[in-house]
Amino acid sequence: MLQSEREKMMTMQEHQKAYVQRASFMRSGATVFLGHLDLMTCFERACRRAELPILYSQGYNPRPMMVFALPLGVGIETTCDYLDVSLDRPYDADSFVKELNAFLPSGLQIIRSIAIPEPKDSIMSIVTTASYRFEAKGIRKAMTEAMEKETLIVTKMAKGKEKQTDIRPLLLSLSQASDGDPDAVDFYASAGSERNVRPDLILNSLSLYCGMDREVAENTRVIRTGLFAREYPRIVPIHEVEVRPL
Amino acid sequence: MKNYPVPLSKSDLMSVESPARYVGGEFNAVIKEDMMEELEKTGKTSYVRFAFCFPDIYEIGMSNLALQILYHVLNESDFVACERAFSPWLDMDKILRERNIALYSQETKTPLCDFDILGFTLGYEMCYTNVLQMLDLGKIPLLAKDRGEDDPVICCGGPCAYNIEPMADFFDIAMMGEGEEMILELCKKIREYKLSKSTSHPMSRQELLLACDAIEGIYVPSLYEVFYSKSTCSGKDGSEGKDPSGACVKPVSDGVKKTIKKRIIKDLDNCTYPTAPVVSNLRVVHDRSYLEVFRGCIRGCRFCQAGFIYRPVREKSVEVLCEQGRLLEKNTGYDEMGLLSLATSDYTRFPELAENLLSTFEGHHTSLSLPSLRLDSFSLDLMEKVQSTRKSGLTFAPEAGTQRLRDVINKNIREEDIFSALRLAFLGGWNTVKLYFMLGLPTETDEDVLGIADLAARIEKLYYDIGRETGQRMRRLEITVSTSLFIPKPFTPFQWEPQNSKEELIRKQRLLKDHIKSRNIRYAWHDFDSSVWEVVLARGDRRLAPVLLEGYKSGLFYDAWDDHFKFREWVEILERHGLTIEDFSREFSEEETLPWDHISVGVNKKFLLSERHKAHEEKTTPSCREHCSGCGAATWGVGECFAKGGES
Ligand code: SF4
Repeated sequence: MLQSEREKMMTMQEHQKAYVQRASFMRSGATVFLGHLDLMTCFERACRRAELPILYSQGYNPRPMMVFALPLGVGIETTCDYLDVSLDRPYDADSFVKELNAFLPSGLQIIRSIAIPEPKDSIMSIVTTASYRFEAKGIRKAMTEAMEKETLIVTKMAKGKEKQTDIRPLLLSLSQASDGDPDAVDFYASAGSERNVRPDLILNSLSLYCGMDREVAENTRVIRTGLFAREYPRIVPIHEVEVRPL
Repeated sequence: MKNYPVPLSKSDLMSVESPARYVGGEFNAVIKEDMMEELEKTGKTSYVRFAFCFPDIYEIGMSNLALQILYHVLNESDFVACERAFSPWLDMDKILRERNIALYSQETKTPLCDFDILGFTLGYEMCYTNVLQMLDLGKIPLLAKDRGEDDPVICCGGPCAYNIEPMADFFDIAMMGEGEEMILELCKKIREYKLSKSTSHPMSRQELLLACDAIEGIYVPSLYEVFYSKSTCSGKDGSEGKDPSGACVKPVSDGVKKTIKKRIIKDLDNCTYPTAPVVSNLRVVHDRSYLEVFRGCIRGCRFCQAGFIYRPVREKSVEVLCEQGRLLEKNTGYDEMGLLSLATSDYTRFPELAENLLSTFEGHHTSLSLPSLRLDSFSLDLMEKVQSTRKSGLTFAPEAGTQRLRDVINKNIREEDIFSALRLAFLGGWNTVKLYFMLGLPTETDEDVLGIADLAARIEKLYYDIGRETGQRMRRLEITVSTSLFIPKPFTPFQWEPQNSKEELIRKQRLLKDHIKSRNIRYAWHDFDSSVWEVVLARGDRRLAPVLLEGYKSGLFYDAWDDHFKFREWVEILERHGLTIEDFSREFSEEETLPWDHISVGVNKKFLLSERHKAHEEKTTPSCREHCSGCGAATWGVGECFAKGGES
C-alpha cells in the first residue's frame, strides 16, 4: 500500500482509541538496501515478534497502524527517521524502545520514543525539511558549487514519464561536516509531501553541473540525519513538535 | 549481529533490480562470531564451513523449507557454521563476472570457494544449470574430477538427487532422502578430513569420499562406473554404448556399496524443527512460515514422484505441531502460516490441529494457509474462517477427465465427491473454481481429453441449477481449467512410460481448447518445451553431463524461468552429442536396467511394476490407510505401515 493511501486509511477509518508511540530510528548495514515497503514490513514483523499491542486497520485487509514520517529510499542510511505506531493501550516509552529493539533485524534500531495522544495531523503531513550528510571525495567543492548555481535542472521519472525539474530551490543551506571531515558535508533540503528532493537527484545534478565524477557521485554515502517540521529556517525536530498532553 | 559488508561498490549494488537480495542481515540468520574471530586471528578454523546453496533467486530460495530445516540443524551443532547462498539474477551475474568477484555467502560474504562444503538442494530439474552458474561464479571447478584437495566438497540433496545421474559428474556427493541426521554425519567426516590436514597423516580427498560412502544414504557418483547399452552389468562391454536402452552402474571397487538406500527420520516429533527460521527482510514469494505436518502420502497416485519417494507416512503429534506453530508465529512475526504436507486433509487429527492453531492465532491477525485440502463440509467451514483462501477460490485436482483414466492413474477422487462438495460450496456462495488436469497420461484417448471439457461444463451447469433451485441471484461463475503435461518420473509406477510427442500434446491441447465453449470457463495451459526438456533431465543419465556443461558455457541457465529457457538451443546441443529427446521420452523396457536402479527409495521395483500393470488393467490400489499393499517401505518399521498395529 502506498504511504498516501495508508495515511488516508488511518485518518478516515474509525478505529479504537489509539495510544501512539512516536519513535525515531536509525538504519545502517544490510537494511539500507531495502525499499520503503520492505522496510515497513520489517517494522511490522518486529512489532509482531515483540508482541506489542499494535492496532490494526479495519476492513478487508487489516494492516498494522504504523506511519512513517517520510519514505526512505533504497541506499540511504538514517540516523534519525520517525514513525508513529498505534497501540491499543498506554505504553511506557522506554519499554517500547527496549522491547522493539530486541526484535528488529540488525541495522535497524529505535533510538527513542515518546508516548503521545493520537495526533491531529499525521506525522507525514508535518515534515517540511530533512538534513543530510553526504560523504565522498570532493563533495564539499561540488556542493558549494551547486549552492552557487541559479538552477539545477534534473530529469526525474513521474508516472512513467520523464519530467524536468529544478531542484536548486529545494536545497536550503550547506555547512561543513560537523566532525570536520573534509570529504563530507551537512545540508538541509526541502522534504515532505509538498516539496521534496531525493538525494539521488542532488547527486545527479552534481555530476551534471558541478564537475563531480559520475561514479563518485553514485558511490556517495548518503545519510539522513534529521527530519523537521515548520518552515525553514525556524524548523523543529519532529520529536520536539508539540502535541497535546496525554 | 555484526554487519559484514558486501564486496561491491554501492553503485554496483544499486544498479541491480533488487539489491536487498545480495546483502544478508536477516532476522534469525546465524553467524558464529567465535569462528569469525578465530579466522581473523589465525586464518583458520576448526569449524566445518558449510554453504547451503539454492540454485535459484533469493526470493524463491527463502521460501524453501529444506533450506530452513538444514540451516537450523547445521547451525545447532557445535562444529558446523552454515551460511546461505543463492543464484544471482542476470544483472548481478554480469557484475560479478565483470568485476571478477566471487559469488559470496549472505552471512559473512565469504567467497563460495573458501567453504569446506557446499550443499545444493535440488527441488526441480530445471535448476541444474544454475548449480553450474553458482559453482562457476563461486570460483570452483565445475567437474568433480577437476577439483583438488583445497576445493570444497560439492554435494546435493532433495527430490532430484534420487536420479542425479545427469549431474553426477559435477557432484562429489549426493544425499538420498531426509537429511537431518545424514548431513551431520557427513559434516563429521568433513571435519576429520579438515583436521587431518594439519597432522602428519593428512587424509586425501579420495579417502574422504570412500569414508563418506560408508554413511547410509550417501552416494558418491565417482565411485561407480557406468555404461549404457543393452548389455547388463554382467559384461563390461560398454563399447556398443550407442544403443540408448539399458544402463549399467557398477561400483568401482568391492568396498563400495552396491545400492544406496535413502534415509528417513523415524520419529518426527523428536526431530529438531526450525521454529525460528530466517525471516527475509525482502518480501518473498510466500511471505509465511511453514509448519510441516507429516511426511509421505497414503495415496499412491501413480504419476506422483513425491507419493513414492517420501514413503512411509509419518505424522507429527497434534501437541508437537501446536507448540511448533505457536513458536513459529512468535519467532517470525509472519502474519500467515502454511500447513505443509502432500495432502493436509489426510492428517489423522486435522480438525483438532486446525481448530487449535486458529484459537492460538485468535486476535493476532494471523491467517492459516491450507493448501491441498480435500473439500468436505468441515474444510469448507474452515475455509470460511480462514479469509485468505476465500480470495483464491476452490481448487480440485481430478488430474484426468474420465473415471477410467483416474483409475489408471489411481487418483482417488470420484465425481460424486467433487459434485457433492461443489454443491455445498456453491450454496455457501463460492463462485471461483480451479481445476487441475494432466495431458498425455498413459492410455489417454481423445475421449479422456474431452472428458475434461465435459466435467467443467457440468460444473457450470450445477452452479446455475443451484441458482434456479434456490431462486438465488448468482454472481458470475469463474472456472479455470489448467493442464500440465505428464512427465514420467523415476521411482513411480509410470517410470517406464513414454511421454507423448510434442505434436501429439499440441493436438490434444487444441482439441481440449476447441471444446471449451463457455465464457465462464478459462483454459490455462502449460508450456510444452520445458516439460519435454524436464523428461530428458528427470530420466536422464550421465551422458547428459557434457550436454549440460556445453549449454551452460554457451550461456544457458535459469532454465526454470520460461523467458530464459531456450529449448531449440538445448536440442541442438543434445543432438551434437549424439543424443535425441526420444532417447529419454521413449518407453523404457521393463527388462532394461534403469539409470537409477542402484538407488533405493524403499519402495521396491517389483511393486512399481505391478502398479504399472494394474494401471493398464484400469485397476486401482487402496490407500495405505485402507489397506497396505506391501510396497516395501515397511522395512523402516514406522509410520502408517504400522499404524494399525499390524505389519504389512
Ligand atoms: S508398506 Fe504398505 S502401508 Fe507402508 S507405505 Fe507401503 S503400501 Fe503403504
